[in-house]
Amino acid sequence: MITNNLSLISVKPQTPQLSPQEEQDKLLDEALGVVKVQAFQMKRCLDKSKLMEALKHASNMLGELRTSLLSPKSYYELYMAVTDELRHLELYLLDEFQKGHKVADLYELVQYAGNIIPRLYLLTTVGLVYMRTNEHSKRDILKDIVEMCRGVQHPLRGLFLRNYLLQCTRNILPDADEENAEHAETVGTVKDSVDFILINFAEMNKLWVRMQHQGHSKEKERREQERQELRLLVGTNLVRLSQLESIDVEKYKKIVLPGILEQVVSCRDAIAQEYLMECIIQVFPDEFHLQTLNSFLKACAELHQNVNVKNIIIALIDRLAVFATKEDGTGIPQDIKLFDIFSEQVAQIIQSRQDMPAEDTVSLQVSLINLALKCYPERFDYVDKVLQTSVDIFQNLGIKRVEYNTPVAKELLRLLKIPVQIYNNLLTVLKLEHFGSMLDFCDYHSRKTMSIFVLNNALENDTLIPTSEEVDQILTLVAPLIQDQPDQPTEKDDPEDFAEEQGLVGRFVTLMSADTPDQQYLILNTARKHFGNGGNQRIKYTLPPLVFQAYKLAFQYKSLSEEDEKWDRKCQKIFQFCHQTISALIKAEMAELSLRLFLQGGLAAGQIQFENHETVAYEFVSQAFSLYEEEVSDSKAQLAAITLITATVEQMTCFGEENHEPLRTQCALAASKLLKKPDQCRGVAICSHLFWSGKTRATSEEEMHDGKRVAECLKKGLRIANQCMNSSVQVQLFVELLNHYIYFYEKGNDQITVQVLNQLISKIKQELPGLEANEETDQINKHFLNTIEHLKNRMDAPEGDGVSYGGLVL
Amino acid sequence: MSFFGFGQTADIDIILSGSDTRKLAEIKTEDGKKEKHYLYYDGESVSGKVNITLKKPGMKLEHQGIKIEFIGQIELYYDRGNHHEFTSLVKELVRPGELAQNTSYNFDFVNVEKPYESYTGSNVRLRYFLRVTIVRRLSDIVKESDIIVHTLASYPEMNSSIKMEVGIEDCLHIEFEYNKSKYHLKDVIVGKIYFLLVRIKIKHMEIAIIKRETTGSGPNTFNENETIAKYEIMDGAPVRGESIPIRLFLAGYDLTPTMKDINKKFSVRYYLNLVLVDEEERRYFKQQEIVLWRKGEKTRKPIQQPQSVPPENK
Repeated sequence: MITNNLSLISVKPQTPQLSPQEEQDKLLDEALGVVKVQAFQMKRCLDKSKLMEALKHASNMLGELRTSLLSPKSYYELYMAVTDELRHLELYLLDEFQKGHKVADLYELVQYAGNIIPRLYLLTTVGLVYMRTNEHSKRDILKDIVEMCRGVQHPLRGLFLRNYLLQCTRNILPDADEENAEHAETVGTVKDSVDFILINFAEMNKLWVRMQHQGHSKEKERREQERQELRLLVGTNLVRLSQLESIDVEKYKKIVLPGILEQVVSCRDAIAQEYLMECIIQVFPDEFHLQTLNSFLKACAELHQNVNVKNIIIALIDRLAVFATKEDGTGIPQDIKLFDIFSEQVAQIIQSRQDMPAEDTVSLQVSLINLALKCYPERFDYVDKVLQTSVDIFQNLGIKRVEYNTPVAKELLRLLKIPVQIYNNLLTVLKLEHFGSMLDFCDYHSRKTMSIFVLNNALENDTLIPTSEEVDQILTLVAPLIQDQPDQPTEKDDPEDFAEEQGLVGRFVTLMSADTPDQQYLILNTARKHFGNGGNQRIKYTLPPLVFQAYKLAFQYKSLSEEDEKWDRKCQKIFQFCHQTISALIKAEMAELSLRLFLQGGLAAGQIQFENHETVAYEFVSQAFSLYEEEVSDSKAQLAAITLITATVEQMTCFGEENHEPLRTQCALAASKLLKKPDQCRGVAICSHLFWSGKTRATSEEEMHDGKRVAECLKKGLRIANQCMNSSVQVQLFVELLNHYIYFYEKGNDQITVQVLNQLISKIKQELPGLEANEETDQINKHFLNTIEHLKNRMDAPEGDGVSYGGLVL
Repeated sequence: MSFFGFGQTADIDIILSGSDTRKLAEIKTEDGKKEKHYLYYDGESVSGKVNITLKKPGMKLEHQGIKIEFIGQIELYYDRGNHHEFTSLVKELVRPGELAQNTSYNFDFVNVEKPYESYTGSNVRLRYFLRVTIVRRLSDIVKESDIIVHTLASYPEMNSSIKMEVGIEDCLHIEFEYNKSKYHLKDVIVGKIYFLLVRIKIKHMEIAIIKRETTGSGPNTFNENETIAKYEIMDGAPVRGESIPIRLFLAGYDLTPTMKDINKKFSVRYYLNLVLVDEEERRYFKQQEIVLWRKGEKTRKPIQQPQSVPPENK
């Protein structure tokens, strides 16, 4: 008993606070409940053939659609449920009519419904049945219903009612040509269908637009959201029009499009205009668009200022561009000057829309460029014309510089990137007279971004630049990478980025490639001039590739020595050019780099053997030496430098004894003067090779094989190694020296004896176990063991070179 | 004498001639029920037979004469005692004497004038009936039988449309148009409302058919308004320039022809009332009289259903 009481108390009604969504759900549920009950009654009456009763229930059910309380979304659900049930009535009537059981005056009867919403839904349903069963009624009924629907001026209810009309009529609209239509007076022709849809469209659009102006202004956002949800209803009209097969280009041009555009333009509502214009583009075929470009674009110029005309035009252009390049298509007909039309109309639009954001203006130009590139790939002048127009627009707007990362800048970059991307040939881009002027509107960041883009494109496509004029143009174009800009920000670039950018310029140098060496020389000079202004930071990256290109050119001249009698002098000039260029690097305190370039030059000069080449080669090598002496101070760098110099001298064959002797002596001297003992030891050991495989003109370019000096060098090395305090390093040096000894022994240097090898080996064996066990020791040990292994192999299987390891103790 | 349970008495039946072919028409009775009676038109003869059946066979019925009257009268409900007969025709069926058996008499009112339409309103009734009276010394035996009269009119010569611009200054201006000013009872009112200026938030618009029955005269005039039909013609708020269609079928409503000053006793007039309701439930309306008339019966063509064309045989 008690529990019963308790449960009663808990059942006490509460007044729940419903959220708007819950409120909607509740209202919708209630409405759907009524629909369900009335629909059930309706169907029961139909089963019993009580039509009048059934109509009454249908009318009650439709009465639910009179509500003003539902959101568009809920209303849509209700509408779906109701129209779904209406189908039963429709099918019943259709069945009866087809059986010949016509209900007299049904069309009139349903019009007695006192409320307009149920009345018009019923009228539409009955009208459909009439039209289905007697096609001669079509013309009149279509006209009648679409007119009567004017009675519903409530936007939401009107939209759905007219949508129902559109749904019902979708398969029965007359679609016959006027000329060969039978019974056009009663059945109607495609003209009647067009009129019908255009009226319905205009009315729906008006209702849709009207939604915008209802209710409180603070709900504007929600309202616009709701309108977006409903736009499909309006757009369906256009879809229906596009589905009429009898509409050809002529009809589209004369009746359909003007009708649509008139409504679109006159409604002066941005949301509607934007959507509907895009809708037109999407639903009608491209062939139609091509024939109506002028009127379509003129309408665009008349749209509301808030309409994003840009998107519409871009959508159209994109579609036509695809159409033009479709493989199975016929392409753009010859008589349609697509580009001219667009370019003129776009200019008009820009003219008429003074407050269009600059970025949109540029976007329009972007789409024009796209059009030109896709439809007329061979017409550079079109692309150039767009660029020129853009320049004019910027000048008219008084824009001087566009700041990076602003919307305008982004569009501007797109505008500039597209031709580069599409042509994939920097040389073609250079033909665009106004490309540069357009680029000038970019600020430093954009210009740099663009420069990188341009160079990358050239590199990706291996675009070779064959003339100095073009090189000049390009380097002017990419100036932000080449030299400091007046508008450059003061803070420094990220070093990694900077290196990457300059590396790009360096790589680009390899693309400068003329057909003739003389032209190539001009190219190098032009590039040199540009790079020379780049400042110390840049030339480190830009000049070395230039020098290498110059060396390469010198080799080219040599290969042409038969044909070009002036090649000698030209080579000389090239080396002067290189000398001067390297000197610029020295001034920028890049000694090590310069040193290497000099050595490379020495090598090149030595090999090319133009007149005077020995002097040039000596000059280059000696310059390297003096750089070594004056500028290289770090001991590691010193060792590396002297190793390089030694190796270079060892390679060269062009020197007479009077030049070679000081060089090799200098090497040996410099090596022995290195600061650290291990460095000294290694340097001296390397120098030993100079005396063996070094070549001079005196030795007729044969290796000099000065065995005595070799032995002296190595002995000096041993002596230095002995002075090393670090036993680990010492043993390492011994092993290295042992290798040098073995090398020379095997080369047949008679100054190197087995005894020396034995001594060294036993010395190492003696010292090695005393070393601390660590990774370094392991390596030394390994090195030594490998060496011993080698010797063992040689002892076991003496080669035919006469070298014998007799007496070697391992 | 029957009062006392003796003496002869008789039933009277009035049989109208041609009753198997004559149409019946419906009319409301005072208490709102519907009755069906035979339908006559102005100038038609009313003829038939009166059967008198004696209730007690074998007994004679003495009478002072038997007569039949054709009466058209107007009854004002507030003046029950006075019936205004505008038509009263009498035929003597037999002179005073005795009836010894059941007897039938033929009667014929030739080409009777029936100037008004039968009508039952809220304050007045116009009726036609036949009355047979067996006149006796103490109590007459009386039998009445109603007929219904419809007045037919021909197509009015002048039937201009009703067109008018109305409004509230700086608030609402509309122009409405009804295609005619005179409609027959099965007619369709077609029209449109054109919105010239809309500064109020209209919720919906309806059109009502109002019947106004006027009885009495001078200071004793009574007006009774009745809304016969209420018909929503617009849902939602229109904007300037919008034109809303009107189409109202009359056949479905309980209407009579317009009656003006019937025998100086009453009038029935009809008005179309256009009502606009705004969101605050304020009503703006304009009444416009229309004249209703009855058209001769003809098979009416459906208005919307076009004539079906027989399929062509080729």
